[in-house]
Amino acid sequence: MYGYHGKIARINLSTGKISVEKFDEKMAKKWLGTRGFGIHVLLKEIDPKVDPLSPENKILYTTGPLTGTAAPTGGRYMVITKSPLTGYIAMANSGGFFGAELKLAGWDMLIVEGKAEKPVYISIRNEEIEIKDASHVWGKRVSETEKILIEEFGDKHAQVASIGPAGENLVRFAAIMNNGHRAAGRGGIGAVMGSKNLKAIIVRGRGRVELADRQKFISVVKEKTNKLKNDPVAGGGLPKYGTAVLVNIINQNGLYPTRNFRSGVFEYAEEQSGEAMAAKYLKRNKPCYACPIGCGRVNRVGVLEETEGPEYESTWALGANLGINDLASIIEANHLIDDLGMDTISTGGTLATAMELYDVGLLKQEDLGDAPPFRWGNTEVLHYYIEKIAYRQGFGDKLAEGGYRLAKMYGGEEYFMGVKKQELPAYDPRGAEGHGLGYATDNRGGDHIKAYMISPEILGYPVKMDPHDISDEKVKMLIAFQDLTAVIDAAGLCLFTTFGLVGDDYRDLLNAALGWDLTTEDYMKIGERIWNAERLFNLKAGLNPREEDTLPKRLTEEPMPEGPNKGHVVRLKEMLPRYYELRGWNADGTIPKEKLKELELDEYL
Amino acid sequence: MALVKYFATLREITGKREETVRGVKNIKELMQLLINRYGDKFAKELRDRAMILVNGKNILHIRDMDTEIEEEDVVSIFPPAGGG
Repeated sequence: MYGYHGKIARINLSTGKISVEKFDEKMAKKWLGTRGFGIHVLLKEIDPKVDPLSPENKILYTTGPLTGTAAPTGGRYMVITKSPLTGYIAMANSGGFFGAELKLAGWDMLIVEGKAEKPVYISIRNEEIEIKDASHVWGKRVSETEKILIEEFGDKHAQVASIGPAGENLVRFAAIMNNGHRAAGRGGIGAVMGSKNLKAIIVRGRGRVELADRQKFISVVKEKTNKLKNDPVAGGGLPKYGTAVLVNIINQNGLYPTRNFRSGVFEYAEEQSGEAMAAKYLKRNKPCYACPIGCGRVNRVGVLEETEGPEYESTWALGANLGINDLASIIEANHLIDDLGMDTISTGGTLATAMELYDVGLLKQEDLGDAPPFRWGNTEVLHYYIEKIAYRQGFGDKLAEGGYRLAKMYGGEEYFMGVKKQELPAYDPRGAEGHGLGYATDNRGGDHIKAYMISPEILGYPVKMDPHDISDEKVKMLIAFQDLTAVIDAAGLCLFTTFGLVGDDYRDLLNAALGWDLTTEDYMKIGERIWNAERLFNLKAGLNPREEDTLPKRLTEEPMPEGPNKGHVVRLKEMLPRYYELRGWNADGTIPKEKLKELELDEYL
Repeated sequence: MALVKYFATLREITGKREETVRGVKNIKELMQLLINRYGDKFAKELRDRAMILVNGKNILHIRDMDTEIEEEDVVSIFPPAGGG
């Protein structure tokens, strides 16, 4: 078998037992990798109704067949578990160098189960895996944890995936961090590590990934890399301005969520744009493993000689969504959130919920005591509450529960801008209705990267679609994006390759590496299988499609008040039945047995 | 008199963030004027997948290059870009 080692390490933290398991090409061809492997294990091994923070939940660190190869952006890994934020599947993806190192150490996947009695970390040196005492790093922030563990390990090339204080304190949107600022960010997976007393995984791999035809693979890699380098986005805009180049674009198009989605136009967008960041703070670019794009930003601001980011999403979550216009404070807050190990989108979304609750009078100053008021635009909120969340101190303890639970506590559920209890990202779907359908149907809740419909609806890739068209063509495009994204994730590649590559390019890379002769349609079928399997897990976990495949009322009932999308809402009720039907699902959003059989999923029923 | 806004690399090419333009009836005439003014580099930057908005609406969903420009309109021009 090429592209895989066919090896899984099962690490039980309760018993300390470490065992090696093998898988064959049948499993590889059915699931491809990362999310595919992950959902297969979740469906087979855990009760979908399990408490996500109990020892019975499992957490999986997965790679894809192209992870650790020379394929462009082939350094991704994904963490799959049951989310303590949504109660459904979490599958969070990260770049940097950890994923490639894990693969080069000889592992396709780690299954971590149980709970350690005291804080531990997992040390992996090629074949050799040990569970080690982590009491000396428990409580430490991400940067310090990485530094100490790498020093102890005695090899500066070792890579660390760790949690910060937020994960230890079970913040429901805690992230897993690697290379300081790279995050497997969403769904609160850091809290799952924390619940298992698992501080970190450190890995060093000196092996390689065996390929079917190395010469052929290298020539395909060269061709695809050149395609990306010559693409005006992947080879131009992204490296030059980073992802924050979108700030002005999305704002000018009138869907830049402002003050908790009250508007789609932010009056200070220019001051926190990618252009402004490049002019004022950029030191250099920083690419991930095997990446020809290099969108990562190394910035200098204030006393921070070097920090990374913020990305577009974080810039928005800590800026426009709170009415904050000071880019320096946003960069500093982003740095702090990374170091404490949290998801920037959910952190910002939760603070925005608090601001609106405060604004409408449901959250009162007496609830906060001497702490800063949650006024729109108050940068003190960033400086004060972020640490309080990570350590669950004072009002931070309530914020650490996430926006949904916070809004519920204060009787203002309608002010939570999220789906399936996860905070929404940086696009108001009243300006891109297909993207809104994507939010409503996403397996991991409020999320933009499992089907980035902004690409066709706003940016024009692979074709330009009217953002207010809600025909079947739009719904079909969303389904294709969901399935293709699952393939790219499962392969171990970065989604930003989609700005320069199309389905056939991924087929070429995979076939050359694996020695397979699958068609693009065959790969898309794997993507469809993954999407349906994740949905099946959520349904078994108790998902109620009628109530939860939905959007906040503001987005479906309150017309956009200003800007180019003035007067628009998301016509979700019209699109959702079409989505179910075109997916081959029942009218109530469940999956019929015939569909499960067609996708070879009936064994998981 | 329409306001034309430039973004990303177009700011480096034009040396401006925005300017007012008179005497053009539609996007086609505006682009001819801008290419004459800023040359090949400007044209080349917009050769693939440029985004042109009139008052925040993409011209592809209005009348493409025939989209009319009225007094007080804001035209936003972006080179190809993406992120996420």
